[in-house]
Amino acid sequence: MSGNSKHAATDGPTETEPPPKFTGELNIRYISYGSEKESPYLPAIRQLISKDLSEPYSIYVYRYFLYQWGDLCFMALDAHNNLLGVIVCKLEPHRHGPMRGYIAMLATRSEYRGRRIATMLVRLAVDKMIEEDADEIALETEVTNIPSLRIYENLGFLRTKRLHRYYLNGSTAFRLLLYLKPGIPYKPTFPPEFPAESGGGQGQGWMDEVLVERQVVRTGVEDVYGERFDVAGR
Amino acid sequence: MPDDDLADEASQLTIDGDGNNEINFTAKRLAQEARQTLSFGGGSGRGIRDVTEEFAAAAKQLQPGQLVKDEYFTLFEAVGALEIMDPKMDSGYVLPGDSLEPDFDVCKGLPAGEVLWIMDELLRLTVVWHDGYPLSQTIFTSLHVDRLLSPDNRAPYGFSYGDTTLRVMTTEERLVHLVLRAYCIALVKSCALVLHTIQSQNFYEEEDFVTHLFGRELLPEIGADDAVKLIDEAVSVVEVAGVDEAMRAALFERLQFARTYLSLLVDESTDWTTLTATRLLAETHNLAQALPKAFSDKVQRQLATSTPPRPMIAISWDEALQRWMSMCADIIEAERLTDFDVCQSPHGLQRAIWAFAYREPQPNTFARAYLQTLLFASEQIAEGMAFFDLMLADIRDLVLAGDVLADPHSFLIEIPADPRHKCSRVVEAFMDKVFDEYMNIYRMICQNRCRIRRTFSQSIVILDRLETEAMRADAELSSITPGTILPNEGGSKEVGLNPLTSWVKYYKLQIMGWSIQLGFETGIYLPHELCMMYWYLMVFAQRKRKLLEHVGRFLVARRKHLASSRSASQDVEAAASREWLVVLHRQADFTESLSCALWQLCELLTTLEIVKPPKRDHAREQLLYDVRMKSYLGIAHEPIPTLEEYKSAQQSIPSIDETCEGINRAIANAKSCLVVLKKTTPQQGKYVGTEEQWRREIKQLETTCVAVAVQTSQLRRVADKHGKQSAGREHGLKGLVEVSIPSPGSRYHGWWVVPQIKERKA
Repeated sequence: MSGNSKHAATDGPTETEPPPKFTGELNIRYISYGSEKESPYLPAIRQLISKDLSEPYSIYVYRYFLYQWGDLCFMALDAHNNLLGVIVCKLEPHRHGPMRGYIAMLATRSEYRGRRIATMLVRLAVDKMIEEDADEIALETEVTNIPSLRIYENLGFLRTKRLHRYYLNGSTAFRLLLYLKPGIPYKPTFPPEFPAESGGGQGQGWMDEVLVERQVVRTGVEDVYGERFDVAGR
Repeated sequence: MPDDDLADEASQLTIDGDGNNEINFTAKRLAQEARQTLSFGGGSGRGIRDVTEEFAAAAKQLQPGQLVKDEYFTLFEAVGALEIMDPKMDSGYVLPGDSLEPDFDVCKGLPAGEVLWIMDELLRLTVVWHDGYPLSQTIFTSLHVDRLLSPDNRAPYGFSYGDTTLRVMTTEERLVHLVLRAYCIALVKSCALVLHTIQSQNFYEEEDFVTHLFGRELLPEIGADDAVKLIDEAVSVVEVAGVDEAMRAALFERLQFARTYLSLLVDESTDWTTLTATRLLAETHNLAQALPKAFSDKVQRQLATSTPPRPMIAISWDEALQRWMSMCADIIEAERLTDFDVCQSPHGLQRAIWAFAYREPQPNTFARAYLQTLLFASEQIAEGMAFFDLMLADIRDLVLAGDVLADPHSFLIEIPADPRHKCSRVVEAFMDKVFDEYMNIYRMICQNRCRIRRTFSQSIVILDRLETEAMRADAELSSITPGTILPNEGGSKEVGLNPLTSWVKYYKLQIMGWSIQLGFETGIYLPHELCMMYWYLMVFAQRKRKLLEHVGRFLVARRKHLASSRSASQDVEAAASREWLVVLHRQADFTESLSCALWQLCELLTTLEIVKPPKRDHAREQLLYDVRMKSYLGIAHEPIPTLEEYKSAQQSIPSIDETCEGINRAIANAKSCLVVLKKTTPQQGKYVGTEEQWRREIKQLETTCVAVAVQTSQLRRVADKHGKQSAGREHGLKGLVEVSIPSPGSRYHGWWVVPQIKERKA
C-alpha cells in the first residue's frame, strides 16, 4: 500500500504548498476511538491518513483495525472537535508467540506538527497496550523519516531490521521493536502458515513473513515527518 | 450455449505447460463453479429472485453504525477490497473528459524517427524494469507491446490480426509491422529469459524484483530463435527502406542491439562486452522523434491487478544507458569472479562474491541472479570441483591440512575395516548435515544487503546447533582414530583439535562478526549503541583469534609429523594452510584491535556524556539488551557475555588520558596487522582474482585507523585545553564537544563507524 513516504507526497499530483503552520493557542484533547460502534470520526481519520498516500486504503482496512482494536486507536482533537492527529494499532499474538502490539498508522495534520501530538498519541497507544498485557510492540517506519524514528527511539524502541524497498514507492524501512517483558527472545514462535498460492512467489522468490505482511497490508502509514527534531529531543 | 458446452468451455480454460498456477487455479475453479451451477438447478430452478425484502429484514437487525465481522475476514481481504468510483481504487473508473482506452492506432505506419523513439523508450523502460519496477508500469505500457500480448492475439502475433499480409505496405507501415514489431517481440522474449534466470535463483519478490505478469503471457507460441529471425528480416526491410543513411544506421544499431541482448540471454557462453557498446545508441538518439501517445498507463486497466493505473517511473535516457552499462559490467565481472582459478579456493570464492556484492552501484537483481546461476546452476562450482569438494577443501584449508581425515583419497577407500573408511563416513555424514547452511553462505552474499544481514543473523543459531553435530562427529572420529592431544594453552589441561567443531565454530564466529558489521553498514545502531556493539565485535574477534591459535598449534604439530614421514604433497598443503592461518589470525587481530579502539572511544564519549542515550520512558536496560542481542541469545556453545559482564568490562576504564593511550595502542596494533596483510600474496591470502579489492580495502582500513587516531587526539586536545586530560571522567566535557556519526556512504569503510568529534564553538 503505499507510500507514506516523502516521495509519495512529492510525486503525487496532490502536492501543493504546505499549509502554513498553526501558531495560535491550542487546547488539544486526546480521546480513544473506543469500541462501541463506527465512529463519526472515521471519515476524518481516513482523510487524514490517506492524504499523502498515492493509493488509499479501502474503508475495510480502517474497519479491520478499528473494529477489533478501537481501544488502541487514539485521536487528537482541537476545541472544535477537528481531528489533528490519529494513531491506529493492533494487538495479537505474533506467530503464536509473544503478544505483539503493532502500530499500523500514525498521522498528524501538517499545520499542527511540531507540537508533540504524534509523540503523545504514541505514548497513549503504548500505555494502553501495556495495560492490555502486550509483550512487545513493533512497527515500521521509513529510514529517512528522522522525526518519526526520534519519537519511537525516545520511548525505547530499537531498530532491529532494515527492510529493503519496503514500501510501494521503493523506499526502505526500519523495523522497530520494544520489549515490555523479560524473556521475550526465548518465547517460541512458529513460522506462519502461508497459503500456497499467495502472491507471485513461484520460482524461488523467497516468501517470508515480511513479504506476506507487506502483501497483506503496507501499514507503514507513518506520517509524522513534520515533528521537528528538537520536539523529540529532550 | 447449451449447458454442457458451458462447462466444457470453462474446463478448457485450464492452461497447460509450466506456467501460471494462479490462472490454472482460477480456470479450474470457474469450471467447477460452472458445473455446480448446472447440476444444482439442472436448468429448471435457475432464475432471478428478488432478495430486497430479505436483505432489508436482515439489515434491520443491526443498529446504525454497528459492524459485524466474521472470523474469516482477514487483513488480506480488507486490503484487497476496492471502492467502486474512487479514482484511486477503481481501475475502471474514468475521469470526466477522459477515455477508458488509449486513443492510438498501433497499426498505423510511423515515420522512422518515431519508430526509433519507441525503440529507445522501450529500452529505457527495460532498464526501469530491471531496477525492480513492475512490467505494468514499464514495458507493458507500450501500446505496441500491449497489442502483441493481448489475450486474443495468437502466433505469429501481429499488430493487426492477420489482414496485412496480402496488402502492399508503405515504408512507414513496414517500419511498424516488420521492424518495430520484431524489436518488440525480441524484447518481450528477452524479458521472459530474464525472468527465467531470476526465478530460478534466490531473490526477494517485490523488494528485489517484481516477477508478476499481470495475467499476460510473454508470447508463449514463439521462441527466442523465431524472434532472432524476425530481427534479421527487419534488418533486410531497413536495408531497402526509403530512409536516410543516418536513420538507417540508427535503426540497424537498435535491431542489432536487441538481437545481441536476446542471444546473450539464450547462450550463457557469449560475451556481454558486446552489449556495452551503447555509444552509438547514445549518439543517434537525437534522431528520435518523441511519440508519447504510443505509451499509456491505461493499459493497466486491462491487466490482472487490483491497483488502478500507477504512473510510469521517470528516468532519463542518459541515466538508463548508464545503468544498462553498469549491469553489463556487473555480468562481465560475475564471469571473471567465478573463473576456474577463483573457484579453486573456497575462501577465495567467498571473497570474490563479497567483492561482487560491494560493487558500486550495487549489482541489480538480474546480475545477482546471473552470478548465482554461474555458481549453482550445475552440480559443481567449477570444472572438476563439486560442491562437496568445495566444502571439503574448506575444511582442509582451515583445520585439517595434510591430515588423512580430510584427504579426498580417504573417501574412496572401500575396505570397511580401514579406519579411513570409517572416518570418511563420519565426516561425510557431518558434511551432509552442514551442507545447506554452508552453501547458504555463498548464496546469502548474492542477496541484497539488508537480507545478507538478516539471513546471517538467522544463521548464527543454526550454526550453533550444527556445532553440536560437529562435536558428536569429532567424538566419533577420535574413538576410531585417536587424534593428537596437546596441552591446553595455559598448559593445565589437555585438549584435542576437534577439527569439525573448530571449523563450524570458525564460521559461526565469522558470521557473528559480519552480522554486527552489517548492522553498522545498514544503520541499525543508534550512536549510544556503538559502544556495546564494538565491545561485542571485539569479543567475537578475540574468540576467533583464539580459535585460530588453537587450530594453528595442531597444524604445527601435524607438520612436524609430516616432515618425518615422506608425504611431500601433504606437507605442501599444510604449509599453505599455515600461511593462510597466519593471514586469518592477523585479520582477526585487526578486527579485535580496531573494535577495541572504537569501543574505548565510544565508551569515553558516553561516560563524558557527549553521546547520550535518549531519555526513554519505556526502556529497561535488560530488555533493550534482549532486543539488540536477540540473534545471539540462542547460542548454547560459549554463549555471549551477559549484560552484567559487558557492564563490568566498562567500569575498568581509567582517565581520559589513559583511555586515549589505550586507544592509540590498539590502533598501533591494528596498523601493524595491516602491514603484514599488505605483504601477503594473493595465494597466501586466498584473494586470487580480487587483488584490486584487497588493496583497496586495506587502504580504506588504514584510513579508518588514522581517522580513529585523529578523532582521539582531537578529543584529547579539547580536554587539554580545558585542563581535564588527567581528570576523572565524572568531570566531563559536556557542552564542550559535539559528535556526529557519519552515514554509511560517507565512511572510509562501511563496516566501521568512526564518530566525528568537534569542539563546540562557544
